[in-house]
Amino acid sequence: MTIADARPAGRPLSLAGRVRSSFRLWWLVAPAFAFFIVFFVVPVASLFALSLNPARPGMIAVTSHFTLANFILIFTHPLFYDAIFRSLGIAAVVAFAALILGYPLAYLIAKTEHPGRNTFLMILVLSSMQLDMVIRMYGLMVLMGDNGLINQMLKDAGLINHSLPLMYNMFGIVVGLVQVTLPFMVLSLIGIIRSVNPSLEEAARSLGASRRQAMMLIMLPLSMPGILAGTILVFALSVSSYVVPALMGGWQVFVLPIHIYQQIAQTGNWQLGAALAVVLFVTSLAVVAVYHFSAAKSSGGRT
Amino acid sequence: MRTESPTPFLFKLIAILALAVLLVPVIVVILAGLNAGNYLAFPPQGLSLRWVAAFLTSSIFLPAFGVSFLVAIIATLFATVLGTMAAIYLTRSESRLKHVLRGFFLLPIILPGIVLGLSLYVFYISANIGLARTLPGLIIGHVLVTCPFVIVTVTAALVTFDNSLEEAARSLGASPFTAFRLITLRIIGPAISASSIFAFIVSFGQFEVTLFLSTPNIQTLPIAMYVSLRYSFEPTAAAAGIFAILLVVTSMVVSAKLISLKRAFGT
Repeated sequence: MTIADARPAGRPLSLAGRVRSSFRLWWLVAPAFAFFIVFFVVPVASLFALSLNPARPGMIAVTSHFTLANFILIFTHPLFYDAIFRSLGIAAVVAFAALILGYPLAYLIAKTEHPGRNTFLMILVLSSMQLDMVIRMYGLMVLMGDNGLINQMLKDAGLINHSLPLMYNMFGIVVGLVQVTLPFMVLSLIGIIRSVNPSLEEAARSLGASRRQAMMLIMLPLSMPGILAGTILVFALSVSSYVVPALMGGWQVFVLPIHIYQQIAQTGNWQLGAALAVVLFVTSLAVVAVYHFSAAKSSGGRT
Repeated sequence: MRTESPTPFLFKLIAILALAVLLVPVIVVILAGLNAGNYLAFPPQGLSLRWVAAFLTSSIFLPAFGVSFLVAIIATLFATVLGTMAAIYLTRSESRLKHVLRGFFLLPIILPGIVLGLSLYVFYISANIGLARTLPGLIIGHVLVTCPFVIVTVTAALVTFDNSLEEAARSLGASPFTAFRLITLRIIGPAISASSIFAFIVSFGQFEVTLFLSTPNIQTLPIAMYVSLRYSFEPTAAAAGIFAILLVVTSMVVSAKLISLKRAFGT
């Protein structure tokens, strides 16, 4: 509904009038638009331009000498292209694990009708989503370190003699990323699960379907749009995370964001760092686009 | 007349596991900050406020907390004003461009944080506009990542707003601005407050965008904790974390009172 729609029928607004009223509103969006152009579009464009400059350690300014040398280096050097696959692989595992863990929790919240209990669960999920990631990684590191609480308890119980390597490896990164992305998965699923009419499930049950069958044949297919949205979101967040691989991987597991930081902060190779950043952005965008396209096809365009 | 619980047993089990994954790390931080010993062991060696006291006199974490707070307040202020104005345009304009514009305003949260931070840093240095390694430069980055949250929340509130209320005020002789201020702003006020709370929390906990924009002189709390975590599990950092956790939980409880969380996030 807009102001124009709400006008009494006796005073219809002409097309010209509507265009004029849209035009009169432009000043509302102008400040945000200008801000985004100057501090978002121009900076990202200059990063793309920098990635096309030949590598000159210590030099930051964008020059007019353009070359693809940085990208050729990235795609011919196993150190870098392995990192791309490692990043994608970790993100895929995280998206799957977050779905397995997140779906039942989302289901539980969606089916909790008691308003107080529902709000309580929502606040738990939202708070854990909004809480600073570094704080949560602190907690996970105290739990999962070589002398962490989990290893201590297992040793005290006499189950193991040597500490299990729970972090500073891929496993630690996956656990860390699942912790961070799980609320996004849950929130993507709650709405869609709630919108599935409960009588559909009941109908299936009354026609003799077992509970599992009703779940697998009714609930799961109907919540597909939420599953797709959630896995895409979790995947994108995982691929681009720096702080989780840095802390949980102990700078031992080289994923793309770690390479970017190293090239900039340690090597001072801004052009290569910028090129890696472009590769990170384009890769995650491409995977999301391909996934979205194929998923839209398989679910009959119901995304 | 329901004889079975709506959630299957296996689902309940996994849901509890999921809640544990979300909450146990947070509980560990709280215990580490309130622990009497030098490191967290299980069972804990007793509770004490020594690390909380250490945080309140810390020359690293207390100023970092202050910087985070200041940056978040200023970024929220700008994001709320810019975002609310843009949201009004996005719901009232009849221009076909508004859908494109809406997508455009969401881009900063789609772009990886580390890429956005790096872009701004490169831009500040190559444009030489005096923003590199400064507080305003950092705040600009935070406005970019918080603005989308304001736009989404306020747009959601405006879509359900009944414009005939404002029209009624107009027909009774109120000027457009008065009608907006007395009717629309009153009604969408809670959503604007909730959106600025989200913006504040997003900015307060922001790490990736800050990474390239902060300096040892302007360290936010997440950066200070990250730096200390590279070397040891500083219980003082956990004590600082307790304050951040309190801040986030309080904000979420307040925003649950302001808007329907179900409507804002559930659908």
